[in-house]
Amino acid sequence: MLIFTAKRVLSGLIVLLVASVVIFFILRLAPGDPAAALAGADADQATIDAIRTRLGLDLPLWQQYASWLGGILTGNLGDSFILSAPIAELIGDSLPNTVFLAGGALLLALVGGAVVGIVLGVSRRRAVNSVFTAANSVAFAVPPYVTGVFLTLVFSIYLGVLPSGGVGPGLGDPVGAIPYLLLPAVTLALPTGATIARFLAASMRRQREEDFVQAGIAKGLTTTTLFARHVIPNSLPPVLTVLGIQIGQLLAGAIIVEVVFAWPGVGQLILQSVITRDYLLTQVLLLLAVAVFVVMQTLTDLADAALDPRVRMGIR
Amino acid sequence: MTAIPELSPARSRRLPSALRGTLADPGVFIATVIVIIFVSVGLLAPFLPLQSPYLQGGQAFAPPSAEHWLGTDEFGRDLFSRVLFGIRQDALVGVIAVPIGALMGILLGLASGLNRILDAVLQRILDVSLAFSSLVMGIVVAAIVGAGIEAVLITVALVNVPLFGRLTRSAVRSQQVRDYVTAARVTGAGPIRVLVRHVLPNAVDALIVQAALSLSIAVFIEGAMSFVGIGVRPPEPSLGSLLRSSSSFLAIAPLYAIAPMVILTALVLCFNVIGDGLNRRLLRR
Repeated sequence: MLIFTAKRVLSGLIVLLVASVVIFFILRLAPGDPAAALAGADADQATIDAIRTRLGLDLPLWQQYASWLGGILTGNLGDSFILSAPIAELIGDSLPNTVFLAGGALLLALVGGAVVGIVLGVSRRRAVNSVFTAANSVAFAVPPYVTGVFLTLVFSIYLGVLPSGGVGPGLGDPVGAIPYLLLPAVTLALPTGATIARFLAASMRRQREEDFVQAGIAKGLTTTTLFARHVIPNSLPPVLTVLGIQIGQLLAGAIIVEVVFAWPGVGQLILQSVITRDYLLTQVLLLLAVAVFVVMQTLTDLADAALDPRVRMGIR
Repeated sequence: MTAIPELSPARSRRLPSALRGTLADPGVFIATVIVIIFVSVGLLAPFLPLQSPYLQGGQAFAPPSAEHWLGTDEFGRDLFSRVLFGIRQDALVGVIAVPIGALMGILLGLASGLNRILDAVLQRILDVSLAFSSLVMGIVVAAIVGAGIEAVLITVALVNVPLFGRLTRSAVRSQQVRDYVTAARVTGAGPIRVLVRHVLPNAVDALIVQAALSLSIAVFIEGAMSFVGIGVRPPEPSLGSLLRSSSSFLAIAPLYAIAPMVILTALVLCFNVIGDGLNRRLLRR
């Protein structure tokens, strides 16, 4: 397990390093001179050069990359030259909102996905199955920007029971912020919950065919005990694998949901940075996004290996 | 975003009859009809007797009428015309970007069969590119080329490269050790001929399923990028940019949002239904 862990962590770090190189150099392909853009339209060459020197843009590219990466590793993320604020501070202001949103959505997705998945996995009635399967496909496929606008129309505009955007009192008062969290979290949770339900149901159906189920019935176990103690626990590993990927998807989905509901999170920050061509901010946030994805993937692989010895022996 | 289709060895059954069989499924049939209607009105929009989607000056937020079938938007432009031209952008993304991405993916997948080192390098590249989810990829592209339909086209193509590349590569890996491939090689077929004539046909079923799912992903990405402001930008109409504009006026003009919502959902769902139908028919038997 130790060797497996070391291998997975190392390969995760390599992916991150490559991603950092790609992100850094690819953003330099963008046309236009950030120093000139920052100096304004009627700045003279001396001002532009001064800004270029101040930002370190006159150094060779590899040196810029080295100092950028060195800065990140030592906790210095640099400054956003458009918002003229330290990037670490901008992230500090917005990241908790995104985590709050994604955490709420994950909780809803887990509970909802587990309930629907277990109903689908236990029930043998055709009607129940087809209704839930159809609902699940819709929840899975409808894009979050459509769901978000739809929920706003229904709950904020027609019924007027929930606010249509913002975080309300903010994280200082999480309970007061819950009405504001509800619609965005549901929007974000739907595709993830549907995926969890789908994988859980499929996995339970496979487990139900196993011999140990017959043995359990022969032994006289009640259906409830059989499912709760034997079928469901054995069905969880594939769900866990897909969950790791889903958390990455959840954070990407959060970008969209933050726009729909004017939620002041990292997603809005990264979009703003792209639109204003604030590429120092863009590159740090992109690296953050990739890092979250890689960490999730690595954790999933490790959990998988912990649950299934065949994985860590490299048999499967 | 959708389950990755699995590969299986080719069967003697001919592809056209399998496709006809897929269409016999009522759900798939309806989905196909809807897709054909939307895509053809979208592609034909410039040739239909519509009002200009850019012509301003009418009453803003006019309700549906004989003159404006879906009413008008915030600048008094005809919504019906804008929706049709919007579908056109999505249809173009599907028709142009998906095949380009698919072709690049297939070529990379086949190339991995030529050389072991090349294979290892490509495998790494695919891994890294999968670490960028589609919207994050869109953000990278928009950061380089700027917001616009070009960014959407490039993103959709790029997102498809690893999807098709993986499928092709796994066909190459599973088929290259088969006896018939050895036999072909013994009779003097070169490596490229073996790949194109013998290995690739085994991947066709999986690639077709992926193509349907990729069209769904294409519509999804166009909608997402335009909605968050890094894709098609106003005044250009697209399903995503229409939804974005309409979302600012939900309280005064709730009907404005309905058409882009319904069509986006219909297209994404229909391509998924078609992909799942093809998957059942072509791969799971």
